Amino acid sequence: MTVGTMARDPNFVLGYLTQVEEIAEEILTDKRQIVDLDKKRNAAREALRCLKKEEQAVTKGGKAWVCFGDMFVKIPKETATNMLETDQKQLDSEIDRLRDGLQPKVSKLRDMESKPELKGFGLQPLSKEEANIFKP
Amino acid sequence: MAASEAAAKVQEVREVTRIERIGAHSHIRGLGLDDALEPRQVSQGMVGQLAARRAAGVILEMIKEGKIAGRAVLIGGQPGTGKTAIAMGMAQALGQDTPFTAMAGSEIFSLEMSKTEALTQAFRKSIGIRIKEETEIIEGEVVEVQIDRPATGTGAKVGKLTLKTTEMETIYDLGTKMIESLTKEKVAAGDIITIDKATGKITKLGRSFTRARDYDAMGPQTKFVQCPEGELQKRKEVVHTVTLHEIDVINSRTQGFLALFSGDTGEIKSEVREQINAKVAEWREEGKADIVPGVLFIDEVHMLDIECFSFLNRALENDMAPILIMATNRGITRIRGTNYKSPHGIPIDLLDRLLIVSTSPYSEKEIRQILTIRCEEEDVEMSDDATTILTKIGMETSLRYSIQLITAANLVCRKRKGTEVSVDDIKRVYSLFLDELRSTQFLKEYQQEFMFNEMTDTEQMETS
Repeated sequence: MTVGTMARDPNFVLGYLTQVEEIAEEILTDKRQIVDLDKKRNAAREALRCLKKEEQAVTKGGKAWVCFGDMFVKIPKETATNMLETDQKQLDSEIDRLRDGLQPKVSKLRDMESKPELKGFGLQPLSKEEANIFKP
Repeated sequence: MAASEAAAKVQEVREVTRIERIGAHSHIRGLGLDDALEPRQVSQGMVGQLAARRAAGVILEMIKEGKIAGRAVLIGGQPGTGKTAIAMGMAQALGQDTPFTAMAGSEIFSLEMSKTEALTQAFRKSIGIRIKEETEIIEGEVVEVQIDRPATGTGAKVGKLTLKTTEMETIYDLGTKMIESLTKEKVAAGDIITIDKATGKITKLGRSFTRARDYDAMGPQTKFVQCPEGELQKRKEVVHTVTLHEIDVINSRTQGFLALFSGDTGEIKSEVREQINAKVAEWREEGKADIVPGVLFIDEVHMLDIECFSFLNRALENDMAPILIMATNRGITRIRGTNYKSPHGIPIDLLDRLLIVSTSPYSEKEIRQILTIRCEEEDVEMSDDATTILTKIGMETSLRYSIQLITAANLVCRKRKGTEVSVDDIKRVYSLFLDELRSTQFLKEYQQEFMFNEMTDTEQMETS
Protein backbone atom coordinates (compact mmCIF):
# COMPACT_ATOMS: atom_id res chain seq x y z
CA MET A 1 0.00 0.00 0.00
CA THR A 2 1.27 3.47 -0.78
CA VAL A 3 1.07 6.34 1.62
CA GLY A 4 -1.89 7.84 -0.23
CA THR A 5 -4.12 4.77 -0.04
CA MET A 6 -3.07 4.14 3.56
CA ALA A 7 -4.18 7.61 4.55
CA ARG A 8 -7.58 7.02 2.93
CA ASP A 9 -8.17 3.63 4.48
CA PRO A 10 -10.44 4.28 7.49
CA ASN A 11 -9.33 1.14 9.30
CA PHE A 12 -5.71 2.16 9.13
CA VAL A 13 -6.45 5.71 10.26
CA LEU A 14 -8.59 4.48 13.12
CA GLY A 15 -5.92 2.03 14.24
CA TYR A 16 -3.23 4.67 14.08
CA LEU A 17 -5.25 7.23 16.01
CA THR A 18 -6.13 4.63 18.63
CA GLN A 19 -2.48 3.82 19.14
CA VAL A 20 -1.56 7.50 19.48
CA GLU A 21 -4.40 8.13 21.92
CA GLU A 22 -3.52 5.05 23.92
CA ILE A 23 0.06 6.04 24.48
CA ALA A 24 -0.87 9.66 25.18
CA GLU A 25 -3.39 8.44 27.75
CA GLU A 26 -0.72 6.26 29.33
CA ILE A 27 1.60 9.24 29.68
CA LEU A 28 -1.09 11.34 31.31
CA THR A 29 -1.98 8.53 33.70
CA ASP A 30 1.65 8.10 34.70
CA LYS A 31 2.02 11.81 35.34
CA ARG A 32 -1.10 11.82 37.45
CA GLN A 33 0.16 8.76 39.30
CA ILE A 34 3.45 10.50 40.09
CA VAL A 35 1.57 13.47 41.52
CA ASP A 36 -0.60 11.22 43.67
CA LEU A 37 2.37 9.22 44.89
CA ASP A 38 4.27 12.40 45.71
CA LYS A 39 1.26 13.58 47.68
CA LYS A 40 1.39 10.36 49.69
CA ARG A 41 5.12 10.64 50.09
CA ASN A 42 4.84 14.12 51.51
CA ALA A 43 2.04 13.08 53.86
CA ALA A 44 4.15 10.17 55.13
CA ARG A 45 7.09 12.50 55.61
CA GLU A 46 4.96 14.90 57.65
CA ALA A 47 3.73 12.01 59.78
CA LEU A 48 7.23 10.71 60.39
CA ARG A 49 8.32 14.13 61.45
CA CYS A 50 5.43 14.44 63.88
CA LEU A 51 6.24 11.09 65.46
CA LYS A 52 9.85 12.05 65.87
CA LYS A 53 8.97 15.37 67.47
CA GLU A 54 6.68 13.74 69.98
CA GLU A 55 9.35 11.24 70.81
CA GLN A 56 11.68 14.08 71.70
CA ALA A 57 9.07 15.86 73.79
CA VAL A 58 7.57 12.98 75.72
CA THR A 59 9.24 9.89 77.04
CA LYS A 60 10.16 7.14 74.65
CA GLY A 61 7.69 4.45 73.72
CA GLY A 62 3.95 4.90 73.95
CA LYS A 63 1.29 4.65 71.34
CA ALA A 64 0.06 6.94 68.61
CA TRP A 65 -3.17 7.36 66.69
CA VAL A 66 -2.81 6.29 63.10
CA CYS A 67 -5.50 6.68 60.45
CA PHE A 68 -6.02 3.83 58.00
CA GLY A 69 -8.51 4.95 55.43
CA ASP A 70 -11.57 5.74 57.58
CA MET A 71 -10.42 4.11 60.76
CA PHE A 72 -8.26 5.45 63.57
CA VAL A 73 -6.11 2.85 65.25
CA LYS A 74 -3.84 3.24 68.21
CA ILE A 75 -0.57 1.41 67.62
CA PRO A 76 2.89 1.54 69.18
CA LYS A 77 4.98 4.41 67.83
CA GLU A 78 7.81 2.16 66.78
CA THR A 79 5.54 0.05 64.61
CA ALA A 80 4.02 3.17 63.08
CA THR A 81 7.48 4.55 62.26
CA ASN A 82 8.56 1.31 60.70
CA MET A 83 5.43 1.12 58.60
CA LEU A 84 5.84 4.67 57.39
CA GLU A 85 9.49 4.13 56.54
CA THR A 86 8.81 1.05 54.43
CA ASP A 87 5.99 2.94 52.75
CA GLN A 88 8.35 5.79 52.03
CA LYS A 89 10.91 3.48 50.43
CA GLN A 90 8.27 1.83 48.28
CA LEU A 91 6.87 5.18 47.19
CA ASP A 92 10.34 6.43 46.26
CA SER A 93 11.12 3.42 44.11
CA GLU A 94 7.69 3.51 42.50
CA ILE A 95 8.05 7.18 41.57
CA ASP A 96 11.50 6.55 40.15
CA ARG A 97 10.19 3.63 38.13
CA LEU A 98 7.38 5.75 36.67
CA ARG A 99 9.74 8.60 35.85
CA ASP A 100 12.17 6.32 34.08
CA GLY A 101 9.34 4.81 32.08
CA LEU A 102 7.97 8.20 31.06
CA GLN A 103 10.90 9.10 28.84
CA PRO A 104 10.68 6.25 26.32
CA LYS A 105 6.91 6.69 26.21
CA VAL A 106 7.18 10.37 25.37
CA SER A 107 9.75 9.74 22.66
CA LYS A 108 7.57 6.98 21.23
CA LEU A 109 4.61 9.35 21.12
CA ARG A 110 6.66 12.03 19.42
CA ASP A 111 7.87 9.47 16.93
CA MET A 112 4.28 8.41 16.15
CA GLU A 113 3.20 12.00 15.73
CA SER A 114 6.25 12.43 13.45
CA LYS A 115 7.60 15.25 15.58
CA PRO A 116 11.37 15.70 15.78
CA GLU A 117 13.08 13.53 18.36
CA LEU A 118 14.10 15.22 21.60
CA LYS A 119 17.84 14.93 21.63
CA GLY A 120 20.08 14.51 24.62
CA PHE A 121 17.59 13.13 27.14
CA GLY A 122 18.96 9.64 26.67
CA LEU A 123 22.35 10.74 27.98
CA GLN A 124 23.72 9.80 31.37
CA PRO A 125 23.55 12.83 33.63
CA LEU A 126 26.77 14.56 34.61
CA SER A 127 27.58 14.62 38.28
CA LYS A 128 27.89 17.92 40.13
CA GLU A 129 31.68 17.90 40.03
CA GLU A 130 31.77 17.06 36.37
CA ALA A 131 29.35 19.85 35.52
CA ASN A 132 31.69 22.32 37.19
CA ILE A 133 33.80 22.41 34.05
CA PHE A 134 31.00 24.42 32.44
CA LYS A 135 30.68 26.82 35.29
CA PRO A 136 33.06 29.70 35.79
CA MET B 1 -0.68 62.30 28.71
CA ALA B 2 2.79 61.74 30.04
CA ALA B 3 2.15 58.03 30.11
CA SER B 4 1.16 57.93 26.46
CA GLU B 5 4.25 59.92 25.56
CA ALA B 6 6.41 57.47 27.42
CA ALA B 7 4.70 54.60 25.65
CA ALA B 8 5.43 56.24 22.30
CA LYS B 9 9.05 56.58 23.23
CA VAL B 10 9.33 52.96 24.21
CA GLN B 11 7.81 52.08 20.87
CA GLU B 12 10.46 54.10 19.07
CA VAL B 13 13.30 52.45 20.90
CA ARG B 14 11.95 49.01 20.07
CA GLU B 15 11.67 49.95 16.42
CA VAL B 16 15.36 50.66 16.17
CA THR B 17 16.46 47.38 17.71
CA ARG B 18 14.09 45.53 15.42
CA ILE B 19 15.56 47.08 12.31
CA GLU B 20 19.06 46.36 13.47
CA ARG B 21 18.27 42.76 14.05
CA ILE B 22 17.12 41.96 10.52
CA GLY B 23 20.20 40.50 8.94
CA ALA B 24 20.86 40.09 5.26
CA HIS B 25 19.91 36.42 5.44
CA SER B 26 17.41 36.43 8.28
CA HIS B 27 14.64 35.18 5.98
CA ILE B 28 16.30 31.82 5.43
CA ARG B 29 14.75 28.89 7.28
CA GLY B 30 16.28 25.97 5.46
CA LEU B 31 17.29 24.72 2.06
CA GLY B 32 13.73 24.42 0.75
CA LEU B 33 13.95 20.78 -0.30
CA ASP B 34 11.21 18.18 -0.22
CA ASP B 35 11.64 14.67 1.20
CA ALA B 36 13.15 13.38 -2.04
CA LEU B 37 15.76 16.15 -1.85
CA GLU B 38 14.17 17.88 -4.85
CA PRO B 39 14.40 21.64 -4.46
CA ARG B 40 11.15 23.61 -4.58
CA GLN B 41 11.33 26.78 -6.66
CA VAL B 42 10.47 29.05 -3.72
CA SER B 43 10.56 27.64 -0.21
CA GLN B 44 11.92 28.45 3.25
CA GLY B 45 13.20 31.76 1.96
CA MET B 46 15.26 30.19 -0.81
CA VAL B 47 14.71 31.09 -4.45
CA GLY B 48 16.22 29.48 -7.55
CA GLN B 49 19.78 28.01 -7.48
CA LEU B 50 18.13 24.62 -7.84
CA ALA B 51 21.25 22.65 -8.72
CA ALA B 52 23.31 24.15 -5.92
CA ARG B 53 20.53 23.59 -3.40
CA ARG B 54 20.10 19.98 -4.41
CA ALA B 55 23.86 19.48 -4.07
CA ALA B 56 23.74 21.07 -0.63
CA GLY B 57 20.88 18.73 0.27
CA VAL B 58 22.94 15.70 -0.73
CA ILE B 59 25.81 16.97 1.37
CA LEU B 60 23.43 17.39 4.30
CA GLU B 61 22.38 13.75 3.96
CA MET B 62 26.03 12.75 4.02
CA ILE B 63 26.58 14.84 7.12
CA LYS B 64 23.59 13.24 8.86
CA GLU B 65 24.95 9.79 8.06
CA GLY B 66 28.38 10.84 9.25
CA LYS B 67 30.10 10.15 5.99
CA ILE B 68 31.85 13.41 5.39
CA ALA B 69 34.80 13.34 7.76
CA GLY B 70 37.94 14.91 6.42
CA ARG B 71 36.21 16.71 3.62
CA ALA B 72 34.81 20.12 3.05
CA VAL B 73 32.52 22.03 0.76
CA LEU B 74 33.38 24.91 -1.50
CA ILE B 75 30.65 27.13 -2.87
CA GLY B 76 31.89 29.14 -5.82
CA GLY B 77 30.02 31.75 -7.75
CA GLN B 78 29.72 35.38 -8.70
CA PRO B 79 29.00 38.00 -6.03
CA GLY B 80 25.37 38.11 -4.93
CA THR B 81 24.34 34.65 -6.09
CA GLY B 82 23.36 33.27 -2.72
CA LYS B 83 26.52 31.56 -1.44
CA THR B 84 26.05 32.72 2.14
CA ALA B 85 22.33 31.99 1.85
CA ILE B 86 23.01 28.34 1.00
CA ALA B 87 25.47 27.98 3.88
CA MET B 88 22.89 29.50 6.25
CA GLY B 89 20.23 27.19 4.88
CA MET B 90 22.40 24.16 5.52
CA ALA B 91 22.99 25.21 9.10
CA GLN B 92 19.27 25.79 9.66
CA ALA B 93 18.41 22.41 8.15
CA LEU B 94 20.87 20.62 10.44
CA GLY B 95 18.71 21.45 13.42
CA GLN B 96 18.26 24.06 16.09
CA ASP B 97 21.18 23.40 18.33
CA THR B 98 23.72 22.80 15.60
CA PRO B 99 26.47 25.35 16.06
CA PHE B 100 26.98 27.57 13.07
CA THR B 101 29.98 29.87 12.91
CA ALA B 102 30.30 32.34 10.10
CA MET B 103 33.52 34.19 9.55
CA ALA B 104 35.15 36.12 6.78
CA GLY B 105 38.53 34.97 5.55
CA SER B 106 40.16 38.23 6.55
CA GLU B 107 39.05 37.90 10.18
CA ILE B 108 41.97 35.65 11.01
CA PHE B 109 44.51 38.42 10.46
CA SER B 110 44.77 39.95 13.89
CA LEU B 111 47.58 41.42 15.92
CA GLU B 112 46.47 39.69 19.10
CA MET B 113 46.61 36.11 18.01
CA SER B 114 48.23 34.01 15.38
CA LYS B 115 46.37 32.93 12.29
CA THR B 116 46.27 29.30 13.32
CA GLU B 117 44.95 30.22 16.78
CA ALA B 118 42.13 32.17 15.18
CA LEU B 119 41.32 29.22 12.94
CA THR B 120 41.48 26.76 15.83
CA GLN B 121 39.08 28.92 17.82
CA ALA B 122 36.73 29.08 14.85
CA PHE B 123 36.88 25.29 14.53
CA ARG B 124 36.14 24.78 18.20
CA LYS B 125 33.30 27.28 18.10
CA SER B 126 31.65 25.00 15.57
CA ILE B 127 31.75 21.82 17.63
CA GLY B 128 28.97 21.43 20.14
CA ILE B 129 28.89 19.16 23.17
CA ARG B 130 25.47 18.06 24.36
CA ILE B 131 25.22 17.17 28.03
CA LYS B 132 22.49 16.47 30.52
CA GLU B 133 22.25 17.66 34.10
CA GLU B 134 19.80 16.10 36.47
CA THR B 135 18.65 17.59 39.74
CA GLU B 136 16.01 16.72 42.28
CA ILE B 137 14.24 19.88 43.28
CA ILE B 138 11.32 20.92 45.39
CA GLU B 139 9.34 23.54 43.54
CA GLY B 140 6.30 25.34 44.81
CA GLU B 141 4.56 28.49 45.92
CA VAL B 142 5.22 29.59 49.48
CA VAL B 143 1.96 29.62 51.42
CA GLU B 144 3.45 30.46 54.77
CA VAL B 145 6.82 30.86 56.41
CA GLN B 146 6.81 30.65 60.15
CA ILE B 147 9.99 31.19 62.09
CA ASP B 148 10.09 30.85 65.88
CA ARG B 149 12.82 32.66 67.71
CA PRO B 150 13.66 31.15 71.07
CA ALA B 151 12.58 33.30 74.00
CA THR B 152 16.08 33.48 75.43
CA GLY B 153 17.31 35.24 72.29
CA THR B 154 20.04 32.74 71.58
CA GLY B 155 19.84 29.14 70.55
CA ALA B 156 18.59 27.26 67.55
CA LYS B 157 15.74 28.74 65.58
CA VAL B 158 13.01 26.45 64.36
CA GLY B 159 10.41 27.09 61.73
CA LYS B 160 7.92 25.75 59.27
CA LEU B 161 7.54 26.29 55.56
CA THR B 162 4.30 25.52 53.77
CA LEU B 163 4.62 24.97 50.03
CA LYS B 164 1.96 24.21 47.44
CA THR B 165 1.51 23.43 43.79
CA THR B 166 -1.77 23.46 41.92
CA GLU B 167 -2.25 19.85 43.02
CA MET B 168 -0.98 19.57 46.57
CA GLU B 169 0.28 21.28 49.68
CA THR B 170 2.70 20.22 52.40
CA ILE B 171 4.58 21.47 55.44
CA TYR B 172 8.33 21.24 55.89
CA ASP B 173 10.09 21.60 59.22
CA LEU B 174 13.06 23.92 58.93
CA GLY B 175 16.48 23.77 60.53
CA THR B 176 18.77 26.69 61.27
CA LYS B 177 20.62 26.48 57.94
CA MET B 178 17.45 26.59 55.87
CA ILE B 179 16.03 29.44 57.92
CA GLU B 180 19.19 31.41 57.31
CA SER B 181 19.07 30.96 53.57
CA LEU B 182 15.35 31.72 53.49
CA THR B 183 15.93 35.02 55.25
CA LYS B 184 18.89 35.75 53.02
CA GLU B 185 16.77 35.25 49.91
CA LYS B 186 13.99 37.31 51.54
CA VAL B 187 11.43 34.61 50.86
CA ALA B 188 7.88 35.62 51.79
CA ALA B 189 4.44 34.12 51.33
CA GLY B 190 3.45 34.28 47.66
CA ASP B 191 6.92 33.68 46.26
CA ILE B 192 7.60 30.78 43.93
CA ILE B 193 10.81 29.07 45.00
CA THR B 194 12.87 26.01 44.15
CA ILE B 195 15.00 24.14 46.63
CA ASP B 196 17.81 21.96 45.32
CA LYS B 197 17.51 18.68 47.21
CA ALA B 198 21.21 17.86 47.13
CA THR B 199 22.64 21.22 48.15
CA GLY B 200 19.68 22.91 49.81
CA LYS B 201 20.17 25.98 47.67
CA ILE B 202 17.08 28.16 47.45
CA THR B 203 16.27 30.05 44.28
CA LYS B 204 13.48 32.56 43.99
CA LEU B 205 11.70 32.30 40.64
CA GLY B 206 9.27 35.16 41.16
CA ARG B 207 5.91 35.98 42.70
CA SER B 208 2.72 34.09 42.11
CA PHE B 209 0.21 35.65 39.73
CA THR B 210 -2.53 35.18 42.29
CA ARG B 211 -0.64 37.53 44.61
CA ALA B 212 -0.23 40.23 41.95
CA ARG B 213 -2.70 42.51 43.77
CA ASP B 214 -1.11 42.14 47.21
CA TYR B 215 0.71 45.46 47.04
CA ASP B 216 0.12 48.66 45.14
CA ALA B 217 3.77 49.53 44.64
CA MET B 218 6.51 47.14 43.75
CA GLY B 219 9.92 47.23 42.19
CA PRO B 220 10.39 46.84 38.44
CA GLN B 221 12.32 43.62 38.98
CA THR B 222 9.30 41.82 40.45
CA LYS B 223 8.56 38.95 38.12
CA PHE B 224 5.24 37.16 38.13
CA VAL B 225 5.06 33.45 37.43
CA GLN B 226 2.35 30.82 37.45
CA CYS B 227 1.98 28.54 40.43
CA PRO B 228 3.82 25.31 39.50
CA GLU B 229 1.81 22.28 38.46
CA GLY B 230 2.10 18.64 39.45
CA GLU B 231 4.20 17.16 42.19
CA LEU B 232 6.26 19.17 44.66
CA GLN B 233 9.39 17.11 44.48
CA LYS B 234 10.43 17.02 40.86
CA ARG B 235 13.22 15.57 38.88
CA LYS B 236 14.52 18.24 36.57
CA GLU B 237 16.55 17.30 33.54
CA VAL B 238 18.29 19.98 31.57
CA VAL B 239 20.00 19.28 28.29
CA HIS B 240 22.25 21.93 26.90
CA THR B 241 24.67 22.28 24.08
CA VAL B 242 27.84 24.23 24.61
CA THR B 243 30.65 24.68 22.17
CA LEU B 244 34.17 23.44 22.81
CA HIS B 245 35.39 27.01 22.54
CA GLU B 246 33.14 28.10 25.41
CA ILE B 247 34.54 25.36 27.62
CA ASP B 248 38.04 26.39 26.59
CA VAL B 249 37.45 29.99 27.57
CA ILE B 250 35.78 29.15 30.88
CA ASN B 251 38.67 26.89 31.82
CA SER B 252 41.55 29.05 30.70
CA ARG B 253 42.18 30.63 34.05
CA THR B 254 43.99 33.69 32.76
CA GLN B 255 40.80 35.62 32.18
CA GLY B 256 37.87 33.47 33.06
CA PHE B 257 34.47 33.47 31.54
CA LEU B 258 34.21 37.26 31.28
CA ALA B 259 36.28 36.92 28.14
CA LEU B 260 33.27 35.20 26.57
CA PHE B 261 31.40 38.46 26.66
CA SER B 262 34.19 40.89 25.93
CA GLY B 263 35.32 38.73 23.07
CA ASP B 264 39.04 39.20 23.56
CA THR B 265 39.98 35.72 24.60
CA GLY B 266 43.59 35.91 23.57
CA GLU B 267 45.43 32.71 22.89
CA ILE B 268 44.33 29.60 24.73
CA LYS B 269 47.02 27.20 25.91
CA SER B 270 47.14 23.92 24.07
CA GLU B 271 47.35 22.04 27.39
CA VAL B 272 43.91 23.36 28.34
CA ARG B 273 42.53 22.18 25.04
CA GLU B 274 44.11 18.76 25.39
CA GLN B 275 42.65 18.31 28.86
CA ILE B 276 39.21 19.28 27.66
CA ASN B 277 39.47 16.98 24.66
CA ALA B 278 40.40 14.11 26.94
CA LYS B 279 37.53 14.84 29.32
CA VAL B 280 35.01 15.09 26.50
CA ALA B 281 36.26 11.86 24.94
CA GLU B 282 35.88 10.15 28.29
CA TRP B 283 32.30 11.37 28.73
CA ARG B 284 31.48 10.29 25.23
CA GLU B 285 32.68 6.79 26.07
CA GLU B 286 30.56 6.75 29.21
CA GLY B 287 27.48 7.93 27.35
CA LYS B 288 27.46 11.23 29.21
CA ALA B 289 27.99 13.53 26.26
CA ASP B 290 27.14 13.74 22.60
CA ILE B 291 29.28 15.52 20.11
CA VAL B 292 27.35 17.76 17.76
CA PRO B 293 29.51 18.61 14.77
CA GLY B 294 28.45 22.01 13.53
CA VAL B 295 29.18 24.04 10.47
CA LEU B 296 32.07 26.42 10.05
CA PHE B 297 31.49 28.80 7.20
CA ILE B 298 34.44 30.77 5.88
CA ASP B 299 33.40 33.46 3.47
CA GLU B 300 35.90 35.02 1.06
CA VAL B 301 38.16 32.04 1.54
CA HIS B 302 40.65 33.35 -1.05
CA MET B 303 41.78 35.80 1.62
CA LEU B 304 43.44 32.93 3.54
CA ASP B 305 47.10 32.39 2.81
CA ILE B 306 49.08 29.26 2.11
CA GLU B 307 49.85 28.61 5.79
CA CYS B 308 46.17 28.62 6.67
CA PHE B 309 45.38 26.26 3.84
CA SER B 310 47.91 23.73 5.02
CA PHE B 311 46.52 24.08 8.54
CA LEU B 312 43.01 23.40 7.20
CA ASN B 313 44.27 20.34 5.37
CA ARG B 314 45.52 18.96 8.66
CA ALA B 315 42.59 20.07 10.79
CA LEU B 316 40.04 18.40 8.53
CA GLU B 317 41.47 15.00 9.38
CA ASN B 318 40.61 15.33 13.06
CA ASP B 319 37.72 13.04 14.00
CA MET B 320 35.93 15.86 15.79
CA ALA B 321 36.21 18.28 12.87
CA PRO B 322 33.11 20.27 12.01
CA ILE B 323 31.77 20.51 8.49
CA LEU B 324 33.74 23.18 6.76
CA ILE B 325 31.97 25.23 4.13
CA MET B 326 33.95 27.78 2.21
CA ALA B 327 32.76 30.35 -0.25
CA THR B 328 34.65 32.37 -2.78
CA ASN B 329 33.82 34.63 -5.66
CA ARG B 330 37.21 34.41 -7.35
CA GLY B 331 38.16 32.49 -10.46
CA ILE B 332 41.71 31.42 -11.22
CA THR B 333 43.84 33.65 -9.08
CA ARG B 334 47.05 33.87 -7.10
CA ILE B 335 47.19 31.87 -3.84
CA ARG B 336 47.85 34.39 -1.13
CA GLY B 337 51.41 34.18 0.17
CA THR B 338 52.77 32.51 -2.96
CA ASN B 339 53.27 33.35 -6.60
CA TYR B 340 51.32 30.35 -7.85
CA LYS B 341 47.99 30.65 -9.52
CA SER B 342 45.26 28.18 -8.75
CA PRO B 343 41.49 27.83 -9.27
CA HIS B 344 39.55 29.84 -6.63
CA GLY B 345 42.92 30.82 -5.10
CA ILE B 346 43.02 27.52 -3.21
CA PRO B 347 45.95 25.08 -3.41
CA ILE B 348 45.30 21.97 -5.51
CA ASP B 349 45.82 19.51 -2.63
CA LEU B 350 43.06 21.17 -0.62
CA LEU B 351 40.82 21.51 -3.67
CA ASP B 352 41.13 17.77 -4.06
CA ARG B 353 39.34 17.26 -0.72
CA LEU B 354 36.52 19.61 -1.52
CA LEU B 355 33.04 19.00 -2.83
CA ILE B 356 32.58 21.96 -5.14
CA VAL B 357 29.16 23.48 -5.66
CA SER B 358 28.69 26.42 -7.94
CA THR B 359 25.98 29.03 -7.98
CA SER B 360 24.83 30.90 -11.06
CA PRO B 361 23.38 34.39 -11.47
CA TYR B 362 19.66 34.78 -10.74
CA SER B 363 17.10 35.23 -13.50
CA GLU B 364 14.79 38.23 -13.58
CA LYS B 365 11.87 36.25 -12.18
CA GLU B 366 13.97 34.93 -9.31
CA ILE B 367 15.22 38.40 -8.43
CA ARG B 368 11.62 39.56 -8.24
CA GLN B 369 10.77 36.72 -5.87
CA ILE B 370 13.77 37.43 -3.66
CA LEU B 371 12.81 41.10 -3.47
CA THR B 372 9.25 40.13 -2.49
CA ILE B 373 10.56 37.86 0.28
CA ARG B 374 12.85 40.59 1.57
CA CYS B 375 9.95 43.08 1.55
CA GLU B 376 7.99 40.69 3.72
CA GLU B 377 10.93 40.14 6.04
CA GLU B 378 11.47 43.86 6.47
CA ASP B 379 7.75 44.60 6.85
CA VAL B 380 7.63 46.79 3.77
CA GLU B 381 4.53 47.13 1.61
CA MET B 382 5.43 47.68 -2.01
CA SER B 383 3.29 48.27 -5.09
CA ASP B 384 3.65 45.93 -8.07
CA ASP B 385 5.08 48.65 -10.31
CA ALA B 386 7.69 49.53 -7.71
CA THR B 387 8.73 45.88 -7.44
CA THR B 388 9.06 45.71 -11.23
CA ILE B 389 11.27 48.78 -11.28
CA LEU B 390 13.34 47.43 -8.40
CA THR B 391 13.75 44.13 -10.25
CA LYS B 392 15.01 46.04 -13.30
CA ILE B 393 17.48 47.89 -11.10
CA GLY B 394 18.52 44.56 -9.62
CA MET B 395 19.17 43.11 -13.06
CA GLU B 396 21.22 46.07 -14.23
CA THR B 397 23.21 46.74 -11.09
CA SER B 398 23.26 44.08 -8.40
CA LEU B 399 20.85 42.20 -6.19
CA ARG B 400 22.46 43.56 -3.05
CA TYR B 401 22.01 47.14 -4.22
CA SER B 402 18.32 46.64 -4.93
CA ILE B 403 17.77 44.91 -1.59
CA GLN B 404 19.37 47.87 0.14
CA LEU B 405 16.99 50.17 -1.67
CA ILE B 406 13.99 48.44 -0.04
CA THR B 407 14.58 49.84 3.43
CA ALA B 408 15.72 53.20 2.11
CA ALA B 409 12.61 53.52 -0.08
CA ASN B 410 10.44 52.50 2.84
CA LEU B 411 11.89 55.33 4.93
CA VAL B 412 11.19 57.83 2.14
CA CYS B 413 7.68 56.45 1.87
CA ARG B 414 7.10 56.85 5.60
CA LYS B 415 8.42 60.43 5.45
CA ARG B 416 5.67 61.33 3.00
CA LYS B 417 3.20 59.41 5.20
CA GLY B 418 2.48 56.83 2.52
CA THR B 419 1.54 53.24 3.31
CA GLU B 420 2.91 51.55 0.22
CA VAL B 421 6.25 52.11 -1.46
CA SER B 422 5.61 53.55 -4.90
CA VAL B 423 7.68 54.01 -8.05
CA ASP B 424 8.45 57.58 -7.06
CA ASP B 425 9.99 56.47 -3.77
CA ILE B 426 12.23 54.05 -5.61
CA LYS B 427 13.24 56.74 -8.08
CA ARG B 428 14.08 59.10 -5.27
CA VAL B 429 16.39 56.68 -3.44
CA TYR B 430 17.86 55.59 -6.76
CA SER B 431 18.94 59.17 -7.33
CA LEU B 432 20.14 59.54 -3.74
CA PHE B 433 22.31 56.45 -3.57
CA LEU B 434 24.75 55.55 -6.31
CA ASP B 435 25.28 51.97 -7.35
CA GLU B 436 28.69 50.66 -8.16
CA LEU B 437 28.52 51.33 -11.91
CA ARG B 438 27.32 54.91 -11.58
CA SER B 439 29.86 55.59 -8.87
CA THR B 440 32.66 54.33 -11.08
CA GLN B 441 31.42 56.41 -13.95
CA PHE B 442 31.26 59.49 -11.77
CA LEU B 443 34.81 58.91 -10.61
CA LYS B 444 36.02 58.49 -14.14
CA GLU B 445 34.38 61.72 -15.25
CA TYR B 446 35.66 63.81 -12.39
CA GLN B 447 38.94 62.01 -11.87
CA GLN B 448 40.94 65.19 -12.33
CA GLU B 449 39.23 67.06 -9.53
CA PHE B 450 39.99 64.51 -6.82
CA MET B 451 43.17 64.55 -4.78
CA PHE B 452 46.20 62.38 -5.48
CA ASN B 453 45.11 61.56 -9.00
CA GLU B 454 48.63 61.38 -10.35
CA MET B 455 48.68 57.59 -10.14
CA THR B 456 49.19 55.76 -13.37
CA ASP B 457 46.60 53.34 -14.68
CA THR B 458 48.67 50.23 -14.06
CA GLU B 459 49.11 50.99 -10.38
CA GLN B 460 45.42 51.55 -9.85
CA MET B 461 44.44 48.07 -10.89
CA GLU B 462 46.87 46.30 -8.59
CA THR B 463 44.30 45.43 -5.94
CA SER B 464 44.27 41.68 -5.89
